[in-house]
Amino acid sequence: MTAPTTDVIASPRPRRQRPGPVALVREGLSELLGRRRLTRYLVGADIKRTHSDTVLGQLWWVIDPLLQMAVYIVLVSIIFQRPTPDYALFIFAAILPWKWFTTTLNDATLSVTGRQGLIRQIQFPKIVLPSSAVIAGTWSFLFGLVALGIVYLFFLNRLTLWVLLIPVIAAVQFLFTMGLGILLSSLNAFFRDIQNVLRHVLRLWFYLSPALYSLSLVAEGNQLIYTLLRLNPFAVLFESYRAVIWGTEPSAGVFLPPGPPDWLGLAVLTGFSGVLLLFGILIFKRAEPAFARIL
Amino acid sequence: MTTAATVPEMLEDSANPNAVEIRDLGIRYDLRLTKRTTLKGSLVGMLRRSHAQDNHFWALRHMNLTLAHGESLAVIGPNGAGKSTLLLALAGILQPTEGEIVTHGRVSTLLTLGAGFEMDLTGRDNIDLAAAFLGIPQEQMDALTPGIIEFADIGAFMDAPVKTYSSGMRARLGFSIATAITPDILLLDEVLGTGDQVFRARSQARVRELVGKARAIVLVTHDLSFVTEFCNRAILVERGQLIQEGGPAEIVGLYRDRVAQRKLLAEADAQRFVTAPEVGPTG
Repeated sequence: MTAPTTDVIASPRPRRQRPGPVALVREGLSELLGRRRLTRYLVGADIKRTHSDTVLGQLWWVIDPLLQMAVYIVLVSIIFQRPTPDYALFIFAAILPWKWFTTTLNDATLSVTGRQGLIRQIQFPKIVLPSSAVIAGTWSFLFGLVALGIVYLFFLNRLTLWVLLIPVIAAVQFLFTMGLGILLSSLNAFFRDIQNVLRHVLRLWFYLSPALYSLSLVAEGNQLIYTLLRLNPFAVLFESYRAVIWGTEPSAGVFLPPGPPDWLGLAVLTGFSGVLLLFGILIFKRAEPAFARIL
Repeated sequence: MTTAATVPEMLEDSANPNAVEIRDLGIRYDLRLTKRTTLKGSLVGMLRRSHAQDNHFWALRHMNLTLAHGESLAVIGPNGAGKSTLLLALAGILQPTEGEIVTHGRVSTLLTLGAGFEMDLTGRDNIDLAAAFLGIPQEQMDALTPGIIEFADIGAFMDAPVKTYSSGMRARLGFSIATAITPDILLLDEVLGTGDQVFRARSQARVRELVGKARAIVLVTHDLSFVTEFCNRAILVERGQLIQEGGPAEIVGLYRDRVAQRKLLAEADAQRFVTAPEVGPTG
């Protein structure tokens, strides 16, 4: 097969000529945006691969978050006996984005190491591997929204026009996941420990985020812990999703109907995610030439 | 490469008689970072670094080679000599540690045929995927697809997922895609032995046709009769070094001599092992 270039100079880059961080990031960005056809095919292959061999197929995208919700309802409402009204919807507002985040981040982390054969065979911009994994993951979120619709059938009193803001919050989460996914995929090529540690880190992260409880419950306790929790990107995301889907709990035991998300928090997180994405691209591009050598 | 800027790139390419120029090429693998590293492993490696400097090896070193358009070069040598590494470097997949490679023309980059296939996609989808990976425009690929399908000759399997293919069918599809795009410089790694007798004959015909079209070919193979029959140049590589370059018959002869010599040594070695316990005391 042919590479599109007509004149390739595969020479080592002399130290002086090695592209600086800005040039690397620019190259990475243009590869991300430029190879759309390749991304489309990879995303399509990803979606076909997942669940293609189960009886219910892609219906699992809908059933899975519902079952997970059921598990948490049993756990929390029976054991902890929380008085939160419409608790099923309360946790579902967090399970839905979290499931999207974890599956996507896992897929992205394994995207480079999982394609060793290809990387040693064809010369192509490797950055499309994590990015298409993240884009393919969005598919699961769309199916999750179907599940959300089903849950809403039981809580129609909570359905407001605020739900139309879900895509806005999801866009911020997408940006955050993309940056983290690109970063982890390149690091995992060097340290396979990451894929093993990731599962446990994610579990801890979930419990340290206001998914099963609202942030206001923590506010009454230790102020330091509360401040630290507020720095957690998923505190902003969970509280925002919940605000538009279920409502808010400004202080423990006070429940308000759906309202606006945490605009300030989302703005800060968008800025942070943008920086994270640029940093991830930089690290990835630095590591890229070594992939074929070490995989 | 130093031509005036007004000369179009393609023109410059065809004007340049050399397809590939390799100057003092060296490729080093860092063993500290190879397969299945863990954090612990590399921390230990870093600690030991001070008294173990030889954690890397040169797969290729000090290699100089020029390949003209129309030449088909066979790379022969024992296993682990650096033949495949040379192809990976020519394809731009491995970056040289030292020296440089200059290529004039489009370089083929499909090496081990068929390993890049997406198992859940059909053969037809995989053709499109390969095109996307290589950045070949869709229209160009649409025009090439019928030819690829015809040459692969796998019938209705073209619309079945690749995971249902036999390894021979996979290799046939891979070979068809790799050679359909008519690169200026085609790299082939041990592919001529794939498929059944009929497909072998056809793939040899295809390679001959590509050679005839003044395309340069670099071929790694153990099929020495093919080397003498189809290649017009050969090099012998051993332990990352270019031992000798010359006509195919000459190099194949040299390789055979060296193999025979090594075989004798190995046999003598084996003899020693067999007789050793009888001669010396135990241990």
